Amino acid sequence: MIANVLDGIVLGLQFGLLAAGLTLVYGLGGVLNFAYGQMAVISAMVVVFAIDAGVPALPAVALGLVAGGLLGLLLDQTILRPVYRLQGEARVLLSLLLTLGVAFIVDGFLNWRYPLKALSLFIGGGPVEILGVPMRRGSLVASAITLVTFAALFAFFRFSTLGRAVRSVIEDEEGARLVGIDPARMMRLILIVSGVLAALVAVTRSMVVPVDVQAGFSITVFALIVTVVGGLGSVAGALLAGLILGIVNVIAADLIGTFMSLVILLGAAAVTILIRPSGLLGVKE
Amino acid sequence: MLEVSGLSAGYEGNDVVKDIAFHIDPGEAVMIIGSNGAGKTTLFRSVIGLIAPSSGEVRFQGEDITGVPAQRVVRRGISFVPAERHLFPRMTVLENLSLGAYPKRPDLETMTLVMDLFPRLDERRKQTAGTMSGGEQQMLAVGRALMSNPSLIVLDEPTTGLAPKLAAEAYEALGVLRKRGLTVLVAEQQVPLAMAFTDRGYVLENGRIRTEGTSAKLAADPDVRRAYLGIA
Repeated sequence: MIANVLDGIVLGLQFGLLAAGLTLVYGLGGVLNFAYGQMAVISAMVVVFAIDAGVPALPAVALGLVAGGLLGLLLDQTILRPVYRLQGEARVLLSLLLTLGVAFIVDGFLNWRYPLKALSLFIGGGPVEILGVPMRRGSLVASAITLVTFAALFAFFRFSTLGRAVRSVIEDEEGARLVGIDPARMMRLILIVSGVLAALVAVTRSMVVPVDVQAGFSITVFALIVTVVGGLGSVAGALLAGLILGIVNVIAADLIGTFMSLVILLGAAAVTILIRPSGLLGVKE
Repeated sequence: MLEVSGLSAGYEGNDVVKDIAFHIDPGEAVMIIGSNGAGKTTLFRSVIGLIAPSSGEVRFQGEDITGVPAQRVVRRGISFVPAERHLFPRMTVLENLSLGAYPKRPDLETMTLVMDLFPRLDERRKQTAGTMSGGEQQMLAVGRALMSNPSLIVLDEPTTGLAPKLAAEAYEALGVLRKRGLTVLVAEQQVPLAMAFTDRGYVLENGRIRTEGTSAKLAADPDVRRAYLGIA
């Protein structure tokens, strides 16, 4: 049982990180980014190619994170431009369709040119015992990176003027404009942050299992489920929902079987929408 | 200080206000009165840049600010307090006030001024805005607007939803601010309160300015008395 909970926490932190980048973009600008997983995969491929070219692992990871940020900026400056002209539901739908198109193109290209590439940042050394359970070093490093990332995100949103400005747009866009905050600039910033988070997802995930070129859609789908449960626009909600779903997932896989765990996750998301439409910690409409 | 001429604005091509002209001199308090749906809110939203006017000109301190978006207008020194307040509901009183000074850090002097003006806010620094009463939220909205040290404050029906005593208190606070040199533009349905407070006023009907004059003159106008003061 303890082993299941610890594994669940490791997976849950992954889930939380996954959802953080998606939920911020949706909460801030009503943009549903279906190419989120592909941003993670492209960043992973940048790391793979850098390592293949002889770049040491750490600088290669840094390059991957920069690539993720640039991809976010690219989305903001290109296909999201027509999206920003719309409001409400139309905005969500157009963003969904356009980013889905981008996702298909990216997937198609990567499968055609690099079908066998995968990022695997294996961390050597034997397992470390925690509460009597042997844990893989890769899982622990990935979890530590995720925790540090969440701490940095919380500090940014809570204490920095810029972070508060981003939150103010999520809470009330018109109110934000009235105090002098430009929502479009905040959106650009958060898309860049989202891209870096996507890259971090790929990097930390690859410490546990290889991230291949087909991983994009499953990353997006998991991110969506966790986002719905956690509440749109809430980083704390993403972390909380990630941890709960991670533990549920591991226990369900153990008791029932891996094949059912995705169904159980989807069920958890559906039940959340029925009971609390705004998610665990979401902003109520 | 503020000069508006030939201003028309509305939504989706339909002008709600048409050919509006008015001005405010430094240090003045001016009211726009009119019934519900007369166009007061649309007029204010187009002046401060929340919607782009379809024609006309808005000049502030000699500069053309027509169509400049609201987030840039506030940095030039006009603060707007909307009737719906648009506070940040899950942030504390202090966070709301701090953001009023964006992009600067809030300065202590202005913060002290706001806390002196509204001691309730001082008592509730750590409370989230969404959990406060209507009157307290209105104080916070005005306080937030003051944090950018504006030279003109524009208030859209500041007494909406307030009990009579609180409404009177709101105007007392505005009076204190006027003494400190702040210029005030206010739209109001509670006409008697606004008349006592302002120097001049404009009457807005069906999107056009019907009449204007000193507040004393408007108070004596039989049409205005009948329509807005409930006196035959």
